[in-house]
Order: sequence, then structure tokens, then C-alpha cells
Amino acid sequence: MYTKTTLAVMITSALFMSTPIFAGGVDDISELKTELLKMRQDYENRIDALETRLIRAENKTDNIEKQSNTSKKKTLASGASVFNPAVSVILNSQFSDYSQDKADYKISGFAIPGEGGLAREGFSLGETEITVSANVDQLLMGQTTLALHDDDGKTEIEVEEAFIETLGLGNGLTVRAGRFFSPIGYLNEKHIHAWNFADAPLIYRGLFGNQLVTEGVKVSYLLPTDLYMEVGVTGGNGDKNPGNGQHNGVGDWLVYGKTGADIGHNSSWQLGLAHWQASPKARSIGGGHAHAGEASEESVAFKGDTDISNLNFVYKWAPNGNMRQNSLTLLTEYFYLKDDGELSIEDELAQYDGEQYGGFVEGIYQFSPQWRTGVRYDYLGSDLKASDTELLDDAGLDYSNFHPKRYGLMLEYLPSEFSRFRVQVNHDRASSSHDDTQILFQYTVSLGAHGAHNF
Amino acid sequence: MKKLFFISLLLSYSFPASAELNIFACEPEWAALSQELGGDDVVVYSATTGLQDPHYIQARPSLIAKARKADLLVCTGAELEVGWLPLLQSKSANPMIQNGADGYFMATDYVSLLNKPTHIDRSQGDVHSAGNPHIQTDPHQILKVGEALTLRLQQLDMNRKAAYQQRWSDFKQRWRSAIVKWEKQAEPLINMPIVTQHDNWVYMIDWLHLNRVANMESKPGVPPTINDLNTVVNTLATSPAKAIIYAAYQPSKASDWLADKTGVSKVSLPYTVGGDASTTDLFSLFDNTLMLLLKAQK
Repeated sequence: MYTKTTLAVMITSALFMSTPIFAGGVDDISELKTELLKMRQDYENRIDALETRLIRAENKTDNIEKQSNTSKKKTLASGASVFNPAVSVILNSQFSDYSQDKADYKISGFAIPGEGGLAREGFSLGETEITVSANVDQLLMGQTTLALHDDDGKTEIEVEEAFIETLGLGNGLTVRAGRFFSPIGYLNEKHIHAWNFADAPLIYRGLFGNQLVTEGVKVSYLLPTDLYMEVGVTGGNGDKNPGNGQHNGVGDWLVYGKTGADIGHNSSWQLGLAHWQASPKARSIGGGHAHAGEASEESVAFKGDTDISNLNFVYKWAPNGNMRQNSLTLLTEYFYLKDDGELSIEDELAQYDGEQYGGFVEGIYQFSPQWRTGVRYDYLGSDLKASDTELLDDAGLDYSNFHPKRYGLMLEYLPSEFSRFRVQVNHDRASSSHDDTQILFQYTVSLGAHGAHNF
Repeated sequence: MKKLFFISLLLSYSFPASAELNIFACEPEWAALSQELGGDDVVVYSATTGLQDPHYIQARPSLIAKARKADLLVCTGAELEVGWLPLLQSKSANPMIQNGADGYFMATDYVSLLNKPTHIDRSQGDVHSAGNPHIQTDPHQILKVGEALTLRLQQLDMNRKAAYQQRWSDFKQRWRSAIVKWEKQAEPLINMPIVTQHDNWVYMIDWLHLNRVANMESKPGVPPTINDLNTVVNTLATSPAKAIIYAAYQPSKASDWLADKTGVSKVSLPYTVGGDASTTDLFSLFDNTLMLLLKAQK
């Protein structure tokens, strides 16, 4: 497509060249000049006219295209179903084999709360997760994750998360309310299926029975800096393990901060800090499978103050930032829990001062778009002091200061972004009496809405 | 809580909004176009480089920080960024860049897309329900997006309406004459038989009237299997190709294998700005692409 000026220049220059120059009088020349000018004007007008016609034609085809697009969209946009929320379903199943008896599984110095134990041996259906999310209106979005799992032959439905969150509130502020994974630790905010190993790190298992949940409100603030910095606070009902009991007002508090950046095009990192605190009224310890809030008569209960601190660091490396092709992820987290209060069972009472701590390091290497492998090392410790150690025995807490350790190795085959087959081997020395080799085979697939690529 | 609110107020006032429009471009081609049309009136950040696969980006901390300050998102759309852009929108808490806001600009909303699937099923690979999103390989599409982007810039920054208009007219003129030049250069390429690695060249093939005899990935986004590759080898035996084409951001493994097996030369095309060292803007993107194709054609 020639532009107006280039055409005009070409034509005029052609005209100039094809017109012989007369050596005649001044009159002739000026006459010629005016004539030429007239011709030039004439051509320019014609070119203008042509261009307008061309643009009109272009617009016409564009309009037709647009019309056909909008008409297509219109047919799509009819009916009530367009407002259906995004739905995704996670299916997973596992085959587990342990060298020791699952019933004897203990973590020295820790009482495993809730569902933190090992999966049943042999074939087992893991959690089937259904996540539904959508924008509520111009201000809010809403999301819920329901987990279905079998418990003693009955299928239980658990509301893992159900919250509303502000949509672009501005000034870096986001408010969330409902039930959600607490912003403590790197893995805690992710759903289990998004973790790099089939089972939780020992410290997550020991402190939270896999994950810490907040039921309340979260306010976060993203600083307007080039370096990513986010700070936030949550307030909850204080009833979620390791909290317990009904509280007037706010029962648990959490503050956190996160920062992170890129190093060139190949690496990025994130560092997080968090502190959680609650005052449980009667947290059942070693009560077997008692759910939070169901402290039974026979189990030891803790009353007092509980503080948990967390430090986590993630580093990712991928040539040119293409994580899917070839990448290395290093993740480490450390938790420290302090209980200060008293233990009780029936009419017995003891002063209790407990420290439980530990963490893990994991390294994941993706060596092709469809294969990943990883190693993990867990290390825990505890220092439990009670005025009457009998109550520690009753609670099933091992106060010998043994350090639980576990080594894990996994290999994954990823046919696509939506499916994963994993084999994992653990060597688990979670207690002095337990030297377990665990082999896990697992598949995880996602149906429906495209999953998010969280950092 | 009060403290936090106070801090946030303090911070939002102590960092006055800069005079320039902050543009967050998801891909380098839109960063380059934004720069052409915005000139000194904009500050452009590109979320990805020419050597990154825009499908598989993670919502990294650095991207969240940039998205928080953006006045305008300039992205491809059509689900190309579906894995990470929604996260950036929600984590940034930035009202300017939410869906449907003035600062939300998706290039594919302004062109008609090819390869709209008639049947959506993940067994068909990484299909985009809206159509093939890789529009930047055809300069005519860039022109359409440019026109729409100019209007959007004028809408967001009304005081500089004339400046945006002026840059657009200037760009349009240069771009149109470049297209005339490219189309003349590309005449020998008409019907050139090629093999592609991934289905991200449809707009260029359509534009230059190339003849694609085979695509290595039988399903988009799924690495070609040995069977897929053998099928391609068989196809090439009956209808030979001049070149195997892949984008600079893609691993060349499959193309290497095929080139080795069939003797057809492989060509890594820049695909977007920054795809190779000499592709520094939209003009050199097409200059270099054509030069490489012409070289392979001989």
C-alpha cells in the first residue's frame, strides 16, 4: 500500500522529468508552473479520493468482522448459564505401602492432630476437591473448596475454604473474609494437591494435622515498591487447631510479611515471615482422631497461650525463566511453636511449657516438560516440660528430646498441565521406635477451569 | 489495624502517581507497540521476554509488584495468559486492571481469530476456546491492535490525546510502507512448503501464503511423540518441505531430530521482539523473520 506522500512525490517527479524544459520566456515558464501545480493538485485530490475509498472499504470489512464476532458472542451470551462460576475438580488416588504398622505411627514430641496421620495402606481414594469461584459483583469475588473424603466407611464433606475477597480495592489493599488457609508458611496457603510431595512435611503434620486454617478476616497490604513487599494481618475465631474453644471477639491473630524479586531472567526468590498466636481453652492432645473442639473426657487438654513463628524461603531457577522446560526449585521452611499454660486430665493438673520446632528442605528438579524429580529432608525437635510428667505420658507426648527425621525422594510424570503421576519413597524416623520405609504411588488430575500458576 | 491503614495512607501519598502512564505488557510485542504509540508519555514494562513461553509463566513476586502500579495492561488475551494474569489482577489489588476496566486491554479482542475450535476438549491438547492467540506474526493484525490501543491510550490520558494521535499516524504510515516492502520481499515465499513445531505460526502462514505441510505437535502444547514425528517424516517423504520452523523461545529438540532425520534445514524465527539479538523492535521483527525465511527458501 503506497502512502499519499510517496505517491505524490513519485508522480510529481515523473511529471517533472517527462516535461521538457523550454528555454523560452519567463511567461512560458510561469504558465507551465501554474499548470504543473494544477496537475499536481489534481493528482493529489484523486489520490485522496482513492485513499478515502480504500479506508472506507477497509472499515467495511472490519465492521463485518466485528459484527460477525459480536453476533457470535451474542449467541453465546444468552441464557442463565453464562453466569456459572468457574468449577474445577481435583481427583486423586494413592497406593501406599509401609514397612511398619500404620497404627503405631507417632512423631516424637508431637501429638498429631486431626487428619495428620498416614494414609491407609493399599489403595485409597485421596481427597476429592471441588473448587468453585466467580466474581460476585463489582466489589467482590467468592471461592469455595469442598473436600470429600472417606472416614471409617462414611464419606465426609469438609469445607476446606470458603471466602469472599475484594476485587481490586486499590492502594494495594485486599480484604478477605470467611474460612481460608492461613498465610503462614509457603506451603500452607497452597492446596495439598499443589505440593511437591504426596504427604505433608512432618512439621505441618505435627503442628497442624497438615494445614492451618483461619476462620475470620484477613487484610493484606501490598507496598507500592518495585521490590515486592506484602504485609498482612488475620484475625480468627481461635477455634481452629492448635487453637481451641469459643472466644468472644478475636481468638487468634496472625501477622505476616513477604518479599521477593527476580535475579536476572533466570532466578527468582521469595522470603516470608509469620507469627500466629492464640489462647486455646481446652486443646485436646493425643485424643486420637478427635476433631478440633471435641476434647473428650479421657484426653489430656491444654489451656494457655500458643505462639507459632514461621520463616520460609523459596528460590527458583529456570534458564530464561521457562519453568516448564528445565528448572530447579529450592524450598525451606522452619516453624517454632511455644505452648505456655497447663495440662489437665480429669482432676489432675500440671504446669506445662512446651517447645516444638522443626522444618524441611526440599529441592525439585524439572528436567523436561513432562518429568520432575525431587528430594526432601525433614527435621524436628521438641523440649517439653511439665510439672507432672505423668500427664505428658497420658497425652502420648514423648519428652525424650528425640529428633524425628525423614528423607523423601519423588519422581513425577506430567503428561500435561492437568495430570500427574507420582512415585515417592520416604525413609521415616518420626519416633525412636519407628523406622519406616514408605512407598507411595499417586495420581492427581484436574478437571475444568484452568489452574493458576502460583509462584 | 488502624496503624496499617495509616501506613497505607502515608505510603500512597508519599509516592505520587508519576506523570507517565505505567503500562504492563504481557508480551514483548505489545511492549514494543505500546512504546511506539506511547513514546515519552508512557513507561512500559514487559512481563515476559522474547525467549519465554508466555503460556507457562508463574505469578512471580516481581510481576505482582509491577501489576500493582500499572495503569494499563496490554496483553494478548484469548486465554494465552490464563494461568497467571488472573492471579496478578487479584494479588495486585489494582482496580485499574480488573476485567472490563479501562486499563484492561486484550489485543485479541480487536482482531478476528483463526483456528476457533469447534470442539473443546482437553484431550485435544492445549486448545484455546477463543481461537489461536498468536496474532503478532502478521503485521496487519498489529495495525488493527495499534489502532485500538491508540484509542485506549487517548481514553486513559486525555490531556495528551493529540500526541497519541500524532504518534499513531506516524506509526501507521511507517508500518504501512513497511508492509508494502515486506509483501514485495515475500513474493518468492508464496507456497513455500514448511513444517512447524508448534501451532503458533498460523497468522504468518496466512499472511505470506506459505504452505504448511506438517505440524510436529499433533496436539498443541503436548510435546510430539515418536509416532507424531514419524508421521511427519512420512509426510515429508511425499511432500518435501523447505524449512522446519520453530520459535526462538521453544526448545529445538524436536526440530533438531527432524532436521537430522530428513535433511530439511531448521529455522529458528524470533517470533517476537527480543527473540534474537538483532530483533529489537516490531520493524526488525518482520525484517529478520523474512530474511530468515528467504534464506531458507533458496
